[in-house]
Amino acid sequence: MNTFERGKFLFSGATKNESFELLTKALDASISGIIITDNSQPDNPIVYCNGAFESMSGYSRNEIIGHNCRFLQADDRSQKEREILAKAVNEGLGCTVEIRNYKKNGDLFWNELYMSPVKDGDGKVTHFIGVQNDVTYRKKVEHDLRQQKANMEKMVEERTLALRDSEAFLTSIIETVREGLLVLDPNFTVLSANYHFLKTFKVTVEETVGKQLYALGNNQWDIPLLRNLLVKILPTNNPVVDFEVEHEFPHIGKKLMLLNAYRIELEGQFKDQILLAIEDITERKEIERRKDDFLSIASHELKTPLTTIKGYMQVIERSLPSEASEKFKSTIGKVSQYVERLNNLISELLDVSRIQTGNIELHEARFEFDKMVSDVVDGIQSSAHNHKIILKGKTNTSILADETHIIQVLNNLLSNAIKYGPDSEIIEVNISNVSEYVKVSVKDFGVGMSAQDTKRVFERFFRGSEIQQRFPGMGIGLYVCDQIIKNHKGTLWVESQKGKGSIFSFTLPKNGKGSDEQ
Amino acid sequence: MSSKNILICDDDEGILDVLELILEETGHTIIPEKNSLNVRSLIEKKMPDLIILDLWMPVLSGDQILQMIRTTPAYKHLPVIMISASRDGEQIANDHFASAFIAKPFDYDNLIAQVRKLI
Repeated sequence: MNTFERGKFLFSGATKNESFELLTKALDASISGIIITDNSQPDNPIVYCNGAFESMSGYSRNEIIGHNCRFLQADDRSQKEREILAKAVNEGLGCTVEIRNYKKNGDLFWNELYMSPVKDGDGKVTHFIGVQNDVTYRKKVEHDLRQQKANMEKMVEERTLALRDSEAFLTSIIETVREGLLVLDPNFTVLSANYHFLKTFKVTVEETVGKQLYALGNNQWDIPLLRNLLVKILPTNNPVVDFEVEHEFPHIGKKLMLLNAYRIELEGQFKDQILLAIEDITERKEIERRKDDFLSIASHELKTPLTTIKGYMQVIERSLPSEASEKFKSTIGKVSQYVERLNNLISELLDVSRIQTGNIELHEARFEFDKMVSDVVDGIQSSAHNHKIILKGKTNTSILADETHIIQVLNNLLSNAIKYGPDSEIIEVNISNVSEYVKVSVKDFGVGMSAQDTKRVFERFFRGSEIQQRFPGMGIGLYVCDQIIKNHKGTLWVESQKGKGSIFSFTLPKNGKGSDEQ
Repeated sequence: MSSKNILICDDDEGILDVLELILEETGHTIIPEKNSLNVRSLIEKKMPDLIILDLWMPVLSGDQILQMIRTTPAYKHLPVIMISASRDGEQIANDHFASAFIAKPFDYDNLIAQVRKLI
């Protein structure tokens, strides 16, 4: 038996039935749905469908046969693909469409339909064959892909917008900042300059951007210190912070500038560009100087009438009649004491101002340390009748320091010991040699302070929490002491216990503040 | 001890008065002067043995007067105590070869001691 000839079915003789059966099985084995419609009957009914079509549509054969194909579109009738199909049927032509179909349970599936006509010997269309594939999944993937692409495009658009936004935002920050900002390329050509730079140095964008930094404004920016910063310091020490430059500009005069410089090391288009922030501190320095001048004058002027008052007080004290009452005598004593305090306050004010602006000058000279200490102790003892100051130890050394400053520190520590120990009698002063330093400790048995307060006691205007109500003062003395000792390259510290008393100690290098530099 | 002349020049009347009051104790003759411009002629007229000079005075300041004294052969060795409430007063006094410096506000005993030391 031979069903095939040259690879085709043989529909003749004894094999005809066998071929037909095989062909039907082949159609049922196809994963594509296949239908045949009879074009000679009214409304082109389906006369055949294979198994795949049944499973694809969810209808069984008996629900399919006799219907026109359109039943698959259910109520979704307005698809343009239907027109293409109708036209092809009318004209007896083949066509391919992708059309929305609905399963028996109502689920949508995309049907890729190949339709081809079958013609008889006269060329008349007798049947149509429809081969259908469920391409829902492919459609979905295609749709997802399109969606994704659209999303991507939208996202790119949003990101671009956001970038442009943040760029504009950053630019407005840079333009608003009250500090000059330049961006330089690696060859020191100005890439951009912000508004404040232009305003401070009275230049325009055209005169600045694209020009060499040193060439700006007829070479007025050719400042040796600036060259030094950019060429020598920046490459080794990135970033450079608070670099002070003073320069006389031809038109705007002398400017004192603080520079911060930063070279971008991040890989990318900005690599090696240099950011140069310029703060004009000319006015600030000028104001500081004027404040110091003002305080100098103020303290001088305040001390002038005080000198007269103190002078008269001393005359009165010396001419007190012996029969004067104790009350009268102690009143006179109190007035003198407070005149002295007023005098100290005025001096302290000027000290603080000078320390803050770094204008405190040291006049170092050698002096006998032990004598200085005992003189100060004697001086304080003479006016402290309720306390006994005991001086212990000896250094037998002369030291190089500003004697008046050290006297000021010791006076302050001793006055504090008396002030904060009103009910204790003894104050101990210990002096000793410690390596290349001399050390002084002032120990009182007064109110003491909490561990918390010891940490802050050298801060300007700090007053101990409980001290505040009980003792007068501005909180300047210890701050000034600390600064003075620091200026001498020594240290000042405190150990204290609440209710037991405090020990204030300081060290001073015997050979002056420069001794550790050699 | 014979009475000597002490010339005091300070632009502040209060200080001038109190200095005069205190220094009377020394038994010397006090010549107070408020206007620093008059110091030169007073030196010529009164031949003081000691001058007490304020530093900051209008028109002619203490250091200028001191400089004039130290560069005039006739008065070159005249003892001069400089007084000032200014922080750098001592520095200026030393730089101009004052015989002594006393900070304002001054101490009674210290003032008397310094004066006695110089005349």
